[in-house]
Amino acid sequence: MQRYIPLVAIAAAIVLPLLTANTYFHHLLVLWMLFSLLALSLNVIIGYIGELSFGHAAFFGIGAYVAAILGMHTGLPGVVELLLAAVIAGLFGLVIGYVALRIVGPQFAILTLGFGSIIYTITNYWVDVTRGPMGISNIQPLSVSGDFLALSGALGYYYVTLFFVVAFAYACYALMSSRTGRAFIATRENAPLASSLGIDVFRMKLLGFVVATAVAGIGGALYAHYLTVVTPDVMSLQYMAALIIMVIVGGRGTIAGPIIGALIYVGLLEALRAVGPLRLVIFAALLTLSVIFLPGGIVSLWRRVFGDGGTTAEPAEEGGAS
Amino acid sequence: MSGKPVLDVSGLTKAFGGLTAVNDVSLTVGQGEILGVIGPNGAGKTTFFNVIAGSLPPTSGSVHFDGTDCTGMRADHMARLGMTRTFQITSLFPALSAFDNVRAATYRTKSTGWLSAIFRSATYRTEEEAVREAAMTALRFVELDGRAHVMADALSYGEQRRLEIAIALAAEPRLLLLDEPAAGMNPEEGQRLVGMIKKIRERGISILLVEHHMRVVMGVCDRVVVIDHGIKIAEGAPSDVVNNPDVIRVYLGREAVSA
Repeated sequence: MQRYIPLVAIAAAIVLPLLTANTYFHHLLVLWMLFSLLALSLNVIIGYIGELSFGHAAFFGIGAYVAAILGMHTGLPGVVELLLAAVIAGLFGLVIGYVALRIVGPQFAILTLGFGSIIYTITNYWVDVTRGPMGISNIQPLSVSGDFLALSGALGYYYVTLFFVVAFAYACYALMSSRTGRAFIATRENAPLASSLGIDVFRMKLLGFVVATAVAGIGGALYAHYLTVVTPDVMSLQYMAALIIMVIVGGRGTIAGPIIGALIYVGLLEALRAVGPLRLVIFAALLTLSVIFLPGGIVSLWRRVFGDGGTTAEPAEEGGAS
Repeated sequence: MSGKPVLDVSGLTKAFGGLTAVNDVSLTVGQGEILGVIGPNGAGKTTFFNVIAGSLPPTSGSVHFDGTDCTGMRADHMARLGMTRTFQITSLFPALSAFDNVRAATYRTKSTGWLSAIFRSATYRTEEEAVREAAMTALRFVELDGRAHVMADALSYGEQRRLEIAIALAAEPRLLLLDEPAAGMNPEEGQRLVGMIKKIRERGISILLVEHHMRVVMGVCDRVVVIDHGIKIAEGAPSDVVNNPDVIRVYLGREAVSA
């Protein structure tokens, strides 16, 4: 029965926006899908190769700016533009990963924070290209080519983003049942042992990092087209923190976890609108409580209630009482 | 010894600053041979082992594996050539089941990657089947097939040490480097290990064994090399080596011969 759960979830996600004509609700659904895509990509780094990246929002921002700048200067078809956003964000990931992944653990996390800040600062001050803090507005809607099949309204973006989420979730599932995925997990669990078995630990980490950053680039491009405006703020610390919260609270190393984490984040963001900046405190508390009491994230509740059903490998829980 | 040696180490030296941990050690491991390396604590056995396995670059000397010069090669590179090592301190993938531990170890024997998994290609499916098969075979070999779906960190100490051997075997090495596999084992477990090592050799795998337990060394090795203070002081059949006056002085004199 378990194998039908993904199909049921996809069917539900397709039907969900049709239940209401409320465009604000549709807007929230688009945000959920966008964050799901980003959280899934960050999950490759946190959950599969076992490193913590504070720079992920920067790659999201690169994707968004690639879409905005290309849209401004060229009339490239949307598909090509998404592809370029992925390639360019992935190239940044390759260069930064190639340098930063020489070290692992907390030092790597700090390095990514540094690289993220550098990209943020450049975006903020390179006014000729990025228009600085004002950002780029009037980005054309995503289309197949020119005005042909241009997306209008949230519903279209919802389905396009949903497509990417499903495709990438499937890619993650395939990864975890492949030789490459086993090498990722082996690298995360015990790097010296992995390397004694012929696994090139550095290459595995780099591969995971580049894939994650390329997918974040696609997410950024979709985001830029959807909101029609992009400012350097998308790379700010606030977004990086949000992504990490989604992955950890949802459940790192799983596929459902980051998607559920994104839902919780978007849902709470709306539900707590009344309390204003205090929301951040609540998110911090949520993250702390999750790390202490639910190190496997929300999805681990499923396993606690229904017993060990899957073979999904989660990171070792340090001192966890599992 | 028949034909060309699988492993040919010559003049291997490893110095850490002023300390020479391994000094000009040469040895060979023949096809299907079990060679033991023994020596008192701090003799440089583990350093020697780590240099051969690629975990440490040598200061001088050379290591040839199957005729290929692999001096100073990285550990993962060595492993892909067919040389697999175990670790002195138990080293597993603790959060994975015994079965997944062994499946991860089949990495070098297969070639399909992420893309073929996405497209569920025919090669992918046959390889995955072969991986499952190989993993169960390796677990059966170490008598852990009944514990296949238990998390590695929930296994008993003896079981964990056997799982390590299953992991090393699943990589289908031609040369197996065992770093004190009997460490912390009781005599009964040690005997079981001796039997297992002999069975591994029957599969045509050559073995280099660094060991402290005399009982294991005497029971299983064809030849023994004795190292003290980083220098090779004796080499020969186990029964000859224990009677060598030098060996008795530096090694056996400090520890009762229990063989």
